[in-house]
Amino acid sequence: MKLLLAVLFLPLLAWAEPATTIRAAELKKEPAIDAETLIELPENTAVDAAERKGGWVRVKARGSEGWLKMLSLRYGNPASAKKGDTGISQMFNVARTGSSGTQVTTGVRGLDEKELANAQPNASELAKLDKFAADADGAARFAANGKLGAKTVDYPK
Amino acid sequence: MKALPLLAALALAAPAQAQFNLRDLNVNRLVETVKNVGKATREPTQEEEIALGRDVAARLVGAAPLVADARAQRYVNHVGRWLASQTERADLPWKFGVLEAPQINAFAVPGGTVFITRGLLEKMGSEAELAGVLGHEIAHVLRKHHLKAIQKGALASLSGDVAGAALTNVNSEARHKLVAFGTEMYSRGLDKGDELEADRLGVVIAARAGYDAYGLPSVLQTLQAMNAADSAVALMFKTHPAPGERLDQLGKKMQPTLDAYSDQAQLQQRFLAETKASR
Repeated sequence: MKLLLAVLFLPLLAWAEPATTIRAAELKKEPAIDAETLIELPENTAVDAAERKGGWVRVKARGSEGWLKMLSLRYGNPASAKKGDTGISQMFNVARTGSSGTQVTTGVRGLDEKELANAQPNASELAKLDKFAADADGAARFAANGKLGAKTVDYPK
Repeated sequence: MKALPLLAALALAAPAQAQFNLRDLNVNRLVETVKNVGKATREPTQEEEIALGRDVAARLVGAAPLVADARAQRYVNHVGRWLASQTERADLPWKFGVLEAPQINAFAVPGGTVFITRGLLEKMGSEAELAGVLGHEIAHVLRKHHLKAIQKGALASLSGDVAGAALTNVNSEARHKLVAFGTEMYSRGLDKGDELEADRLGVVIAARAGYDAYGLPSVLQTLQAMNAADSAVALMFKTHPAPGERLDQLGKKMQPTLDAYSDQAQLQQRFLAETKASR
C-alpha cells in the first residue's frame, strides 16, 4: 500500500530527484547568471533537484534553496546504486502488436541486437509510415498553432 | 574491426578477390582493385540514398512495428517535419515513426527517415525534449553519417563493381547484403565524433525551430541517471558515448547557444496531450 501511494504521488514529489554537483557551482537566488549568489557549492555536493527553467534547475542544498546551472549537475546519487533494471524483458513476454494493439503472447519482443540481425522487411508497416508523414505546409501550420517561430541560428564552427 | 561482420557476410559476393592474401597480390590485380575502389567511393545520388534508406526502414519496422497510435505518429511527424524544414536538406521525403519497443533508442535512416522507440518517448516530458532528440537524428541524416558508414563497410569487403550493383540493382544479392548490413549497423553504432556532432547540430536545429535549446541536454540528463546495465538502455549505451560525456561536450562547445535559446517554447501540455495514448 505504501508503495502504491508512493507511485501514485510520484509526480507531486517536487524534490524527489537526488543530484550531485560535478564542479564547484554558485547557488543563485534566481535562475540568472547576474542573480545574487546564496552560497558556493563545492564539487560533489549532494542536492535535491526540482524543476528546470531554461538552463537552470531549482535545488535545495545545505539548507538553502536556489538555482544551479543545469550542466553543473548530474542526476542520481553516486553514493547509492542507480535504479535497477526496468524489467522490460519480463514485461514484454506479453507484447503489443503494432497493427491491432491487441495483447498477444509472442515471447520476448522489442528492438535489440537480435531483432536487428534478424529483421525482415515489412511492407505494410512501411506503408503506414508513409501515411503518417507530414508535408512542409502542414508542419508550418502545426508550428504556428504552438506559437513556434523559426530563428536563424548558425551551426557551431 | 567494424567491417568484420560484413566481411564474413559478404565473402560470397566477392569470391575472386584475393586482397587478403598478400602472396597472391600482383600488380594487375592491385591496379584493378584501385580502379574498383574508385568506383565504390562514388557518392550515391540522392535517389539512391533515399531508396537504400527505404529498404533499411522496411527492415526496422519489420524488427519492431509502429506504435498503433495514429495521433502520436502524426504528432511526431509534425514536430520532425517542422525541424527538418529549418535545415539544408528540407526537400528530403522526411518521415518519422514511433516504434513499438520498450528499449530506449532512436534511429536515423539515410534519406530522411527517423524512428524513436516508445521507451524513449515515455522518458520525455515536453515537445522541446522530443525536438532535441529528433534534431540529433535529423543531423545524422544531414551529414550522411549512416550512409557513409554503410559505404565504408561495403568498400572494405565488396569489389567496386559489386558495391556499385548494390546501389543500382535493388534486386541483387549484393543489395540484400548491403541492406542487412545497414540494418545491423544500429547494433554497432557510429563513430563517437559523429554522435557528438549530431548533438551539437541537434541543439541548433531545435533552437532554429523555436524550441528551448535545453531539450536534448534534458533528455541526456534523464538517461544519465539510468543504470547502464538496465536492459532498456544497454544497446543505446553501447552504441553512443556515455550521456555524461555528451553533456560535458555540449557544455564545452554549445553553452552560448544553449543559453541564448533557453527561454524558447517547451510545450509540455501539447506533448503530453498528443502522446498520452502511447505513454
